[in-house]
Amino acid sequence: MEKYVHDIVIVGAGLAGLRAAVAAAEFGEKLDIAVISKLHPIRSHSVCAQGGTAAVMREKDSFDLHAWDTVKGADFLADQDVVEFFVRQAPKEIVKMEHWGCPWSRTPDGKIDQRPFGGHTYPRACFAADMTGFHEMHALYGKAITYDNVRFYDEWFATSLIVEDNSAVGLTAIELKTGEIHVFQAKSVIMATGGHERIYEFTTFSHTTTGDGMAMAYRAGAPLMDMEFVQFHPTGLVPSGVLITEGARGEGGYLINVNGERFLKRYAPEKMELAPRDVISRAEQTEILEGRAFTSPYGPYIALDLRHLGEEKINERLPLIRDVAIKLGGVDPVKEPIPIRPAAHYSMGGIKANIKTETPIRGLYAAGECSCLSVHGANRLGTNSTAECLVFGAVAGEEAAKHATSTSFHEFSQEKVLAEEKRVFDGILGSEGSERVPQLRDEMRRLMNTKVWIFRKGDDLESALKEVRELEKRFKNIKVEDKGRAFNTGFTAALQLDFMLDLAEVTIMCALARTESRGAHSRLDYPKRDDEKWLVHTLAYYTAEGPRLEYVPVTITKWQPTARKY
Amino acid sequence: MNGEVVKVVEFRIRRYDPNTGKKYIATYKVPIRKGTTILDALNYIKDNLDETLSFRHSCRMGICGSCGVNVNGKPMLACYTQVLDLNADTLTIEPLSNMPVVKDLVVDIQPFFQTVKKIKTVLIKPAEALKKTDGEFIQSPEDLKKYWDLSLCTKCSICYSACPAAIDEKFLGPSALTANYRFIADSRDEGLDERLKPMADNVWLCTSCNSCTLFCPKLVNCSESIVEDRSLLVEMGAIPRTVKDVLESVMKYHNPMGTHQSKRMGWAEGLNVKTFPNVTKAEILYFVCCSTAYDIRNREIARTMASLFDKLGVDYATLGEEEWCCGDHILRMGEKGLFEMLAEHNVSVFQKFKADRIVTLSPHCYNTFKNDKPYKDLALNVQHYTQFLAEAIGKGKIKPSKPFKGRVAYHDPCFLGKRNQIYDEPRQILQSINGLELVEMKRARESSFCCGGGAGRVWTEEAEPEKRPCVDRIKEALELEVDTVAVACPFCVTTLEDAVKVLDVENKIAVKDLLEILKEAL
Repeated sequence: MEKYVHDIVIVGAGLAGLRAAVAAAEFGEKLDIAVISKLHPIRSHSVCAQGGTAAVMREKDSFDLHAWDTVKGADFLADQDVVEFFVRQAPKEIVKMEHWGCPWSRTPDGKIDQRPFGGHTYPRACFAADMTGFHEMHALYGKAITYDNVRFYDEWFATSLIVEDNSAVGLTAIELKTGEIHVFQAKSVIMATGGHERIYEFTTFSHTTTGDGMAMAYRAGAPLMDMEFVQFHPTGLVPSGVLITEGARGEGGYLINVNGERFLKRYAPEKMELAPRDVISRAEQTEILEGRAFTSPYGPYIALDLRHLGEEKINERLPLIRDVAIKLGGVDPVKEPIPIRPAAHYSMGGIKANIKTETPIRGLYAAGECSCLSVHGANRLGTNSTAECLVFGAVAGEEAAKHATSTSFHEFSQEKVLAEEKRVFDGILGSEGSERVPQLRDEMRRLMNTKVWIFRKGDDLESALKEVRELEKRFKNIKVEDKGRAFNTGFTAALQLDFMLDLAEVTIMCALARTESRGAHSRLDYPKRDDEKWLVHTLAYYTAEGPRLEYVPVTITKWQPTARKY
Repeated sequence: MNGEVVKVVEFRIRRYDPNTGKKYIATYKVPIRKGTTILDALNYIKDNLDETLSFRHSCRMGICGSCGVNVNGKPMLACYTQVLDLNADTLTIEPLSNMPVVKDLVVDIQPFFQTVKKIKTVLIKPAEALKKTDGEFIQSPEDLKKYWDLSLCTKCSICYSACPAAIDEKFLGPSALTANYRFIADSRDEGLDERLKPMADNVWLCTSCNSCTLFCPKLVNCSESIVEDRSLLVEMGAIPRTVKDVLESVMKYHNPMGTHQSKRMGWAEGLNVKTFPNVTKAEILYFVCCSTAYDIRNREIARTMASLFDKLGVDYATLGEEEWCCGDHILRMGEKGLFEMLAEHNVSVFQKFKADRIVTLSPHCYNTFKNDKPYKDLALNVQHYTQFLAEAIGKGKIKPSKPFKGRVAYHDPCFLGKRNQIYDEPRQILQSINGLELVEMKRARESSFCCGGGAGRVWTEEAEPEKRPCVDRIKEALELEVDTVAVACPFCVTTLEDAVKVLDVENKIAVKDLLEILKEAL
């Protein structure tokens, strides 16, 4: 076991993590920065972001309008001070990306082009065809590797955060190539590990996006906020769940039921296909439940029809979607509608952090999807997530740099490190039980899909909670077949499942407790929004007995909650 | 919720256990449904049959670049490949090449990323311009289009894995060189001088074999980008001596062999071959190629073809001293101006000569006549000699009568196979010969491993022996225990024979052009 010492350690190298690295490196060239990621950075899930990044770029748009759209989209659960800051910063990030080389799609006069997106009242999604996240990631990675003071630990799997006296002081990580565990000491730690929707069976998520950072922070004492709010994206490709961008509807695509009807006229008559995602996913799910969906061996589906856009527009604006639909869905959207249905897509919840990305643990920062600041409240608008990663990735980098500059290294006892080594190698890799990790993982994912999906009910959630706790028990009795250390992906799958089970439990508990319907959280037994009781954020704290919940008020600056119609 | 099982496919997976050092092939049977990808199959194996199998994967939508593997010898993204599309009952899955294996299908990707880090993957602009954050740099949609396709590279390393030049770590590789050109072609970038530096001493190692482009899951034209990179270096005069020598020879003599054009017909001594301008019309215009015209070793190939024409009673002629180098190598070395000069000359002579078709000895002449302007605009009726002969054999006009004893491996020349999909005709010729045992190379057809001679490298080779593609290729042939490597390209003859000498295996293996083998059998 070796000890690596860096001023700042960033866990995760997607948009938020890389943006934090660049910001920290810019802050001071004497700062020594490490980026730890279980994947090579440009394999991160951020490359899957497709449709765009929201920013106020033109005079006809305004910060207030973007903020209002975001707050309304959030069903008023967003912290409005954070939202106001966020919308003002976003345009600067777009320009920075542009300066680093991002190939933004352009207007005929050479400016950055923008497309409409759900819930936004102005076309403010800057985009690079339908590979926005991919291009942002490559631009950002290209920038990040130019700094001599940023060291990348590619394919290192962080297993635990070390906290002493409520200060983040380091972490443990396994170098996958050798399978050896090492310890990192840092003055500031930034979590930027993404969301946890791999806990669901039908999801747009990369296989590797398993919410590790959320779980590590949670176990180390940081509260997770608003975890009941899981976004279901209306257009997950059937059968894989691969994302079909909302940009497809931004460009004019229709959603059609089995009767050939654009059914959204019954749910969101004004905005139709460009209503926010929670509204559309509920509409689709209702069509499915009421028997108006198409049927297939891979389950019911809704048709996303792009044919009227024409081949030229599809090729120019949605080339990836066409390719993906052909390669993975077996349909050419120029000729046939794409089979889709709602898929778990985004976690509005995450590690509680304030406007400076500070968590309640000193020296621990969180940015991007693993965090909850809360920009997105109960439902995120499309294109606000990549914007959030950039804006708050930058904030995290700067704040972590300031903290690292003004503080000294904190020694920590070897005890915690040894305990962690024992947990992962003896407890998990060495476990000689009878349960198989793939089996438990699939059971968890199916459970989340059936009982913690778009429409939720108290009794379902209660039984889901029982079942997930049963899975946690069974996890203690696993056997990892491969006992070798080097690149043991069966072992990492077990570590990830361990994290995911905690997160599934938190998600279910928070959902069970919130007896109202707001944004993406729809309770059939509590169908109305209840501002009197529930205009609050949920906080979940780790205890040995399971999550302990607390509630804190929402910050409201300008916009009082009103009825939410589209 | 599951589709019907269409068939069961046997997956033969190359395994490596770093803990024990054990290397082996593991076999698994996987039920395949409509839509099952290679990655789905690997996950099925891991979840249901063997949890110890290691492979990388993440996005499962072809954009993160994690899951490149070799499937039946071809590198591809596991997640972006449907099993049913491969039309196979057995699939061999192996790790990518050119990178050390860490475990099973996981290779060490750091050597690849080191190449990317050698170039600047961010816009180069004056610091003042970059400081302004109030507005974007203007770029028209047309200017964006100039590099957009090149910006789609996911850095999956498939090109690097397939690249014969990448066995020399000095070579930046297709992905990095393309990324470099992506920025050069970006109207916002102002860093041309800085971008030329890291590639100036190694971009010449690319043989334009086209494997990178052929296998790129995102259809990025790396091969063409590298030519553009070289073209800029040529323009700046920033080229190594070896390259300069070739270009100067072509400039001076109109061939890369450093010999005067008046000696061009030396190969045909005593054969009575008709030539332009004495003759201006013939059934077949026989385009000989500089290598077979001047290289003493290769002249026999040209002579054999001529005697076959005679034997078939074909009315043929050559351009004589007016046959200039076709320019294929020269174009791909980046000397576009010189290529144009050569092509314009040849085009003007083609226009003066009436022929039903052109038959070339070299795949390079064939390729450039077919695919490069200004030749392409003439829509020439051109055949490679293997096509011509396969046709004649098929019609029974040529009957190899003498038995040929020996095991022969056929090496697909890149400019014949990968660039023009001529795979079957050379094999048909070999199969028509009695007693000849045709053996397939491990890397054959689309997966053929370049001899290292393309894009002028045949004349500029300076790499240490083990870093030459030809040496790698001959080693592969030696493993097959063949006594002959058959080729259908004069440059492959030169490079592969060089490798035989370097490896000192002249007593074990011979390199022969198909024509030489056929001659022995007639």
